[in-house]
Amino acid sequence: MADWEELAEALADYTATCNDNARLRKMQKDWSKVLHFVCTDSGETFTMVVERGEILSTPQGHHGAPDLVVATTSETFCDMFWGDLNPVAKYLRGEITVKGTQEDVMRLDAISYVIWPDA
Amino acid sequence: MTEAAANLPSLRRAVGTATATATSAGLAFAAIDYLGVVSILAYAPGRSAAVAILIGGLLVCYVAAVFSELNGLYPSAAGIRLYLGRAIGNRTALAVTFTYMTTVVLVIAADAFLIGAAIRHVLHEPAVLAYLWIAILLGVALAANLAGVRLAGWMQTAVTYTVLAGTVILCVIALTKPGAAMGQPLDLFGRGTFSGIQAIAFALFLYAAFEWVTTTAEEARRPQVITRALFLAPLLIWATATVFALALSHLVPSSVLKGSAVPQLLLGTKALGTVGEVWMLGLTVLTALNTFNGGFLVASRFIYAAAREGSLPRRFALLNVRAVPWVAVTALAVLSGLVAALVFATGQWLLLVAVGATIEAGIYALGSFCLLRLRRRETRERPFRLVAAKPLASIGTVVFAVLCLATGLSDPKDPHRLSVAPLGVIALLGAAATLYVRIGLPKVQAAAAARAATARPRRRPSKVEDPSSKEQEGA
Repeated sequence: MADWEELAEALADYTATCNDNARLRKMQKDWSKVLHFVCTDSGETFTMVVERGEILSTPQGHHGAPDLVVATTSETFCDMFWGDLNPVAKYLRGEITVKGTQEDVMRLDAISYVIWPDA
Repeated sequence: MTEAAANLPSLRRAVGTATATATSAGLAFAAIDYLGVVSILAYAPGRSAAVAILIGGLLVCYVAAVFSELNGLYPSAAGIRLYLGRAIGNRTALAVTFTYMTTVVLVIAADAFLIGAAIRHVLHEPAVLAYLWIAILLGVALAANLAGVRLAGWMQTAVTYTVLAGTVILCVIALTKPGAAMGQPLDLFGRGTFSGIQAIAFALFLYAAFEWVTTTAEEARRPQVITRALFLAPLLIWATATVFALALSHLVPSSVLKGSAVPQLLLGTKALGTVGEVWMLGLTVLTALNTFNGGFLVASRFIYAAAREGSLPRRFALLNVRAVPWVAVTALAVLSGLVAALVFATGQWLLLVAVGATIEAGIYALGSFCLLRLRRRETRERPFRLVAAKPLASIGTVVFAVLCLATGLSDPKDPHRLSVAPLGVIALLGAAATLYVRIGLPKVQAAAAARAATARPRRRPSKVEDPSSKEQEGA
């Protein structure tokens, strides 16, 4: 089980990688969303605020009304934000649960696909 | 719904019952449904068609209950893959899902062809221009999809209710006109027992794809929203299809209907002259908005997810600058165009109806079978449970398997004869999907494994245990 420190480290790396990727920023320029994350094992929650494709913040806890909610284990979140696993495979096996439009779910996956095409 | 999913925070914007019902009805009610009614009339003329549509609707209520329970267990856009996979194994599930997705191509192709035929009919253009209309319609749909243009939820809702209400209003007007008064006796089996079964099987086709609303389960305000939509949408389709069948029998002679790809325009003309014809043309074009929007979206995202998962070649997951899986969308448009052109060249548009009806009946049989298997394996709570599931699902599996055979062996052009053409097309599609899963998929997976082996090392820093904490534990 990963603690908040590990999650924060993964999120910091993910944020920097996403925000530094010019192609991704161009692709997601019309995507402004609030994402809520729920760790099903530890109960830890955190938020990701995305404005025109740029990740602005990833605070602990839930802030604002979400457009997309993602739930899985803290370990899976860590691996996902480090780019060490393919989120679609986990999603299709029912190990990642989401609430939101198919479009937003795909956009979230597209981020991982663009920054880590090999994952 | 899983425990984790049930406790998730509420979305800022979530889909309610009216939108979900419109989505379900909109996915089911395409231009090809007008031809579906003609297919039913061939087996059950006059008022008997209404009986077939009613029985089809009652069977669909059972299907709604099955999919409500399955959706409650797996409330996900990937739901069908998940419960098929859990019930019959992942490889078989993949082959079945690929075959199932071909119905999307068939419906898109059918709509492109039918709308092209309708426009050509109204403008009195030469037949060959149908190819041009098919190309234009699919070209516009392709361009809109690649540009990331999507119908807003409210517009999709408005389009669906306009099409259904517009069809009902015109049919009611048609029924007030002097006509044939539906002289045939009310006898569903008047043309033989097998004909009655085939009429019911074709009636099922009118509701086909209503269950795709389960792919929006993740957007729903509550799980009950999808359940309500699954029961309400068939009600709307039943009402619309019934009055259309009655009005068509009332005003348009069966000899005129035979061989026509535009029965709705014939009815419009008979009811209100040119105004009626343009009215029905407008509604036919509107159905395309839902078909092209929903069809492209559902199928292309399925292909994208399959490619990302490693079940299809990676190029199908390629995204354009609008985050649209452009290879998947383009492949769908090209394939639909080829099928539409082939249908036009051969004049076999009723074969599309028969193939679609057969696949849907087969999927409903499989859905019942999945429920039977998963009842034994899944003990989790779900928001909807089918009562007497064991006997009902057992009967459902058999009934839909029989209906699958009934449409699969029907001759689309002659109700008095049997033909293996529909079943033959499905056998070809199924064989292609199975061959891919057995031969192509291992190669795709081997390539993915080879890539993974040469890929960059794991990025996540490994956990280093703090020696001081061990010392503390020891103390």
